[in-house]
Amino acid sequence: MKKRIAELMAAVMAVGILGCVPVYAEDGVTEISFPTMWVGVNTNTDWFNERLEAFNEEYGDTIQVNVEEIAGDQNYVDKLKVLYSSNSLPDTFNAGGYNLIDSMQDQLVDLTDYVDDEWKSLASDISWEVNSRDGKIYGIPYTRQVIGYFYNKDLFAEAGIEEPATTWEEFFEQCDMLLEAGITPLSMDTADSGWVTSLMLCAIVGQTDEGEEFMNTNLPTDYNTEEFIAAAEMIQTMFQKYTTSDAVGGAYENAASNFYMEETAIIANGPWMVSDFYDDTLVEEGFADKIGTAMFPGSVMYNSGKIGWNIASTDEETLEATLTFVKFMTNEESQLRMLEVTGDIPASEDITSDDVYPLVNEVIENGNNAEHCINDFQSLWYANVVDEISVQYPLLAQGEITAEEFAQALTDAAAKN
Amino acid sequence: MKVKKWKLASFLIPCLLLFGLIYFIPMCMVFGSSFFEWKAGGIFRFVGLENYIQAFTSDSRMLHALRNTVIWVVLQSVVHVALGTVIAFMLARRRRGWKILRTVYMIPNVISSAALGVIFLNVFNAKYGLVNSIISALTGEDFSKNWFFDQNSAFITVTLTWLLYTGMIIILVLAGVLSISEDVVEAARIDGANEMQVNMRIRLPLLRTVLGTSVILAATSMLKEFELIYLTTNGGPGDTTINLPLYLYKTSMTDNNYGYANMMGVVLIVAGIVVVYAINRLFRMDEADY
Amino acid sequence: MKKKIRGGLWRIFRFLFLGFMALISVGPLVWIFLSSFKTNREILSSAFSLPSSWGLDGYEAALQLAPIFKYYGNSVIIAVGSTALNVLIVSMAAYVLARYKFKGSTFITLLLSVSLLIPTAALLMPIYKIMIAIGLFDTRLGLILVYAALGLPTSLFVFKSYFQGIPRELEDAAYIDGAGFYRTFFVIVFPLARSGLATGAILQFLTSWNEFMFGLVLTQSAEVRTLPLALNYFTSQFSFNYTAMFAALTMVIIPSIVVYVLLQEQVTTSMVAGSVKG
Repeated sequence: MKKRIAELMAAVMAVGILGCVPVYAEDGVTEISFPTMWVGVNTNTDWFNERLEAFNEEYGDTIQVNVEEIAGDQNYVDKLKVLYSSNSLPDTFNAGGYNLIDSMQDQLVDLTDYVDDEWKSLASDISWEVNSRDGKIYGIPYTRQVIGYFYNKDLFAEAGIEEPATTWEEFFEQCDMLLEAGITPLSMDTADSGWVTSLMLCAIVGQTDEGEEFMNTNLPTDYNTEEFIAAAEMIQTMFQKYTTSDAVGGAYENAASNFYMEETAIIANGPWMVSDFYDDTLVEEGFADKIGTAMFPGSVMYNSGKIGWNIASTDEETLEATLTFVKFMTNEESQLRMLEVTGDIPASEDITSDDVYPLVNEVIENGNNAEHCINDFQSLWYANVVDEISVQYPLLAQGEITAEEFAQALTDAAAKN
Repeated sequence: MKVKKWKLASFLIPCLLLFGLIYFIPMCMVFGSSFFEWKAGGIFRFVGLENYIQAFTSDSRMLHALRNTVIWVVLQSVVHVALGTVIAFMLARRRRGWKILRTVYMIPNVISSAALGVIFLNVFNAKYGLVNSIISALTGEDFSKNWFFDQNSAFITVTLTWLLYTGMIIILVLAGVLSISEDVVEAARIDGANEMQVNMRIRLPLLRTVLGTSVILAATSMLKEFELIYLTTNGGPGDTTINLPLYLYKTSMTDNNYGYANMMGVVLIVAGIVVVYAINRLFRMDEADY
Repeated sequence: MKKKIRGGLWRIFRFLFLGFMALISVGPLVWIFLSSFKTNREILSSAFSLPSSWGLDGYEAALQLAPIFKYYGNSVIIAVGSTALNVLIVSMAAYVLARYKFKGSTFITLLLSVSLLIPTAALLMPIYKIMIAIGLFDTRLGLILVYAALGLPTSLFVFKSYFQGIPRELEDAAYIDGAGFYRTFFVIVFPLARSGLATGAILQFLTSWNEFMFGLVLTQSAEVRTLPLALNYFTSQFSFNYTAMFAALTMVIIPSIVVYVLLQEQVTTSMVAGSVKG
């Protein structure tokens, strides 16, 4: 027994040690590290693989990108936080729009001096603004955030609705019409960040000038505003009257599924969803033709920048190589391919393509025409406020708390930072 | 039998080394930093007992978390262990199919929490969930309770995701029961004891240390449980299902407030030592049977 | 007569009780298995219906989307390695603590059991730094060590309680026959405690097999990563492939059940081979 165990141990140790043979770079090659969440089913996987290959073809002789695959958005952020707290962030990372600038600023490279006018022209002003703090650039933008809502034209016709609503009053009237026709009007959710629901909430907030300003403010701390409370009240009504019974507690998948199954008529989400409208494991054939796009009532669209590539290299040589890599991944070609492969909107307003689903271009068009342009809560708000939403929505939906108490709970959460 | 001290030491040292490497250093860091205000962005400042004072005087979420943690520890130590022990005794009779059942009961422990979370969300789903369907079928009325997200049912629903899954207790107790000599049991039977009496008076006392172990593992598992809660209710609605480990995770990972999180770590460790010590005494676990 | 009826009712109750428990235990596995054949639409719209076809698309997609096979080998090596390491060194310590009273033995037991309680979130950063410092970051050996330590307290309690149940006479006899301390432990005690050791090994194996967070933080190359990390390749914030996820889950769960059955056989055999108590 003893001998067998000893042998087993020896074998295990040997294999274990083989697993840690260090990889030495060849001379003249600079190694940089990049953890990616763009693996598996992530919508950006194909785009990233294609662009990485192109990069290696062009720069493979001098720069070696050590890619670490981290599946799952939350895991990506969690791991980066551990690396941050032990002072060992990778050379560059991209959390897919999740804001890590404010919590990791002290370890990020101030990129202001490296971004010349030519590079600047590759993204809209608002994109650079979202990636800057106190006038200094901490992230390189690659996409913009453009979000409205999708509706099912067939279901609208059934309920006798001709056009998407232009005011929230009209929006609720349309919801009543849908209900009368036996159709559940809205897809909603509460899990994670309650993404679909929160998009509605913030769009309501953003219909006034003050609200628009609030929805462009980084890390707001006070949610006890008239607009916000009024919006929360409307969300409460939506939960109680106009959505499915699995909305409370449901995740994005459930909300999306109800829309795909044509059980609901409206869902708020971005253009990356469009490719799913053509996926026959999710929807019936011909589903995409039934879908229309709309601005939120009050001519509101999410139309803003998105947090991009952050850089944390610690020495000149790797920083230079990292900048080359990031520049490549955010150049015109990369942005164009991003639009074509994933339906994500390029950071530059000048990059367009006819080689995309028409619905995607419709969404961009809506974004350009909206009177009120707001940014999304996931990029702007403290992470724990976003987390707090998901545990407060069920109470709001159940009528256990009022809209005022809801706003207060978020304010309290923000105060913890 | 006298054994040389260095021989005993040679048996203890590998384990202590492993402990030192993986646990001791982190433990010191947890303890030390619980007296600091330590947040993201390089904030690191000695604040003495402030974290502790804040937690126990003005943090209502902390109190909810503590209360829920205590309730879950008690439920798990009593109901969960009792249930597992009863099943183990039933299986120990070795009637047809006992080996299959022994495997079947362990299955939930084999499945990752992530998967179990998804499954339970579906089982208790308000729209198409299994539980609501069964109730609707039995009563003939449309029943749509949102088990996990109704403030009145959330706590009990979360509890159900682990309370009845006693696989680990079953294998511990079962292995214990099976190693009790038949001679002892036979002797009791000859004296006229029935099955119930054999179980209560002969087997159960002999399983003292095994039961103590089971209670310790069950109780401490509740001092660590957070994945299933995180994946189903995320501690909500409001604070209804939050417990200390989940609050700690959130404080550290989403609030980036490491000092405060580590204060909770210390509270958990202290609570754990009290629990382990109490159970040790209760089951007289330091005394050998022979 | 009355007694007979009561016995019958008792039997029916027992049957229903064990049956119900079996049903809720096996339910999740059946659900995962069935879901691995359903389309995403079927999973999300009718969670409890049978799949419309029994194609293996989900399994194909799972293998294509995530490096499952590569991670599989790592998981086996790491789980087996940490189980062997854990059983060996923890059983030695547990034996000494169960058998010999000396100054500080209670303290050591309490100290070691504290590790049962340290929250994972608090361990992540320090262990990450330690692994880098001793050069075991991103190695299988590093994970083996950490996993063996994670199961340390559980194994300690389990082993200790079994050693306490073994009569001293057998060891005394061995000593009288001239066997030394080491020989007595490995040749006499170790086999006698087989059911306890197997029980601890089962729990340790499952811990290692399913652990996620350390696997994520302590590795970075695909060459050393473990299976639980692969399960996240199937869901991201706005896209998901549940069919593939459940197919992958099925592939992850089956080996654990096999290992469990094999180790349980040890428990039974040791019992049949002759009881130790009494």
